[in-house]
Amino acid sequence: MNSLVSARNVTKRFGELRAVDNVSFEIEKGRITGLIGPNGAGKTTLLKALLGLTDCDGDLSVMGLDPFRQRKELMQNISFIADVAVLPRWIRVAQLLDFMEAVHPRFSRGRANELLNRTSVRPSKKVRELSKGMVTQLHLSIITAIDAKLLVLDEPTLGLDILFRKDFYANLLEDYFDEERTILITTHQVEEIENLLTDVMFIDKGRLVLNAEMESLPEKYVELMTSGENAERARQLNPIFERDVFGKKVLTFEGISRDQLSGFGELRTPAIADLFVAKVKGAAA
Amino acid sequence: MMRTQFALIQREFWEHRSIYVTPIVIGLVISLMSITGQVSISASEHVDTAILGMSNVSEEARATTVSVMMLVVFILFALAAAVLTIFYSLDSLYAERKDKSILFWRSVPVTDFETVLSKLLVALIVIPLVTFGAVMVTHLLVGVIMSIWLAIRGGDAWHLIWEAAPLAGNWTAMLAMLLGSALWLSPFVGWFLLVSGYSKRSPILLAFLPIIVLPLLERSFLGTQLLGNAIFVRSAQNPIFKDADTLSYMFKDDDLHSLAESGISLVSILDIGRFLGSPGLWLGLIVCGLFTTAAIYVRRYRDES
Repeated sequence: MNSLVSARNVTKRFGELRAVDNVSFEIEKGRITGLIGPNGAGKTTLLKALLGLTDCDGDLSVMGLDPFRQRKELMQNISFIADVAVLPRWIRVAQLLDFMEAVHPRFSRGRANELLNRTSVRPSKKVRELSKGMVTQLHLSIITAIDAKLLVLDEPTLGLDILFRKDFYANLLEDYFDEERTILITTHQVEEIENLLTDVMFIDKGRLVLNAEMESLPEKYVELMTSGENAERARQLNPIFERDVFGKKVLTFEGISRDQLSGFGELRTPAIADLFVAKVKGAAA
Repeated sequence: MMRTQFALIQREFWEHRSIYVTPIVIGLVISLMSITGQVSISASEHVDTAILGMSNVSEEARATTVSVMMLVVFILFALAAAVLTIFYSLDSLYAERKDKSILFWRSVPVTDFETVLSKLLVALIVIPLVTFGAVMVTHLLVGVIMSIWLAIRGGDAWHLIWEAAPLAGNWTAMLAMLLGSALWLSPFVGWFLLVSGYSKRSPILLAFLPIIVLPLLERSFLGTQLLGNAIFVRSAQNPIFKDADTLSYMFKDDDLHSLAESGISLVSILDIGRFLGSPGLWLGLIVCGLFTTAAIYVRRYRDES
């Protein structure tokens, strides 16, 4: 088994509500997987289960460990940032580095300093004295200074300006990622990470609605932009979703070859965000 | 394990600065008061006669006088430490949930057991040790201030204070009292930790309400007072102190001579053997352990989203 993460029939209930509903998937080493879903879809709950922060039903294994029962061992090989900025406000930057150095065997203080030197975060500052963006920079610097096999990023760039977000992802690829490491990202700004993902998973209402390699998407999904009679004929092929763009119809197809659609209009591979809408809204319709 | 525990305890010092700020402030206030006190005593015309008189009393009498002054300073610190421990243990697992930093603390390879243990150690061992350090420094500061004052007045400070003061014995007794009280009252600390980890808001209310209401309910419905005794008698009676009868004669007469002749030092009011042999101590530690275990489970299983 080469899977870094293996989930089989994972379910997390809160009373009657199934926040995560019978989800199964594998994540292999060296992949960058995007977990995409609307608010309340169960993304954060699923990540929490992966990180051993919450108990769940079903079989869940991360690096061969049971996340909830072997959390300490797991945390030595995982680093993660949660969606809310959660660094304690009273701590000084230098104290935070001291603490990480003492408790984390894979934390490199030199690396963290190197990363922080690129920012305007000074070691003598307290977290409460930093701007929101600086707190995130600090958190990301600490997280990426950990030599972890799995990096989990839950909305890592929330509240950051676009320049920093671009830099962050560029650095993540250049300095951090290699074939030994695996990254799992959730974000609302899908278009920013679209190009760096190798795999994508969609989650909606606790269920996994798509789990695919990015490379396989052009084969499986196609978007047709057309109008009038062509649109009418294309509808016979059962598009999973239809929307209007500037007076034209955009139809999304699943499992229909491009040859079948070639005469009807302009064809292209749907962007992740559009595909997500098509899968989720299409299923609801 | 040791390194992690050390880092966790250091974290408590960063987060709860009152652990060391409180004793420092109290020490400074007492030192300042001893200066102003001596200045105002100096206004009395009998002060030089009194110093002369002190030089002539027996060494035991001088030792007792110094011990009583040390004890007064100590009691102020001990009361502050008690209040500090209550607020610290009630806040220790609540603050990290309130500011949501618990998600960060749980993202590092540290178990909930290690984290909660660090907080228990701070409440039961670290606060008494820090308090003890501050007591010693304050004793020395006040002693130096008094010595300077005596020297200005022409008194022999070495003879009057330092030679007579049973420092080592008194300090040993004070350290034993601080640690002994913390261990004796450990069930309360365990309870406070549990409430701190469980409470959604206002841990103080949730912590003290049952302590007051449950014994009342027990008394009115069952007619018994088991819980009330367990709570209130425990707070008042620590077996580390000799019986009240033994203690009372130390203070039965405010004549310094009779006090001195009874030959009481602070060590002699303690009974460490009885303390360590007391089932109440060990039963209390077990109760503390149960509450702490519950606090660990609450931190582990509670979902903070």
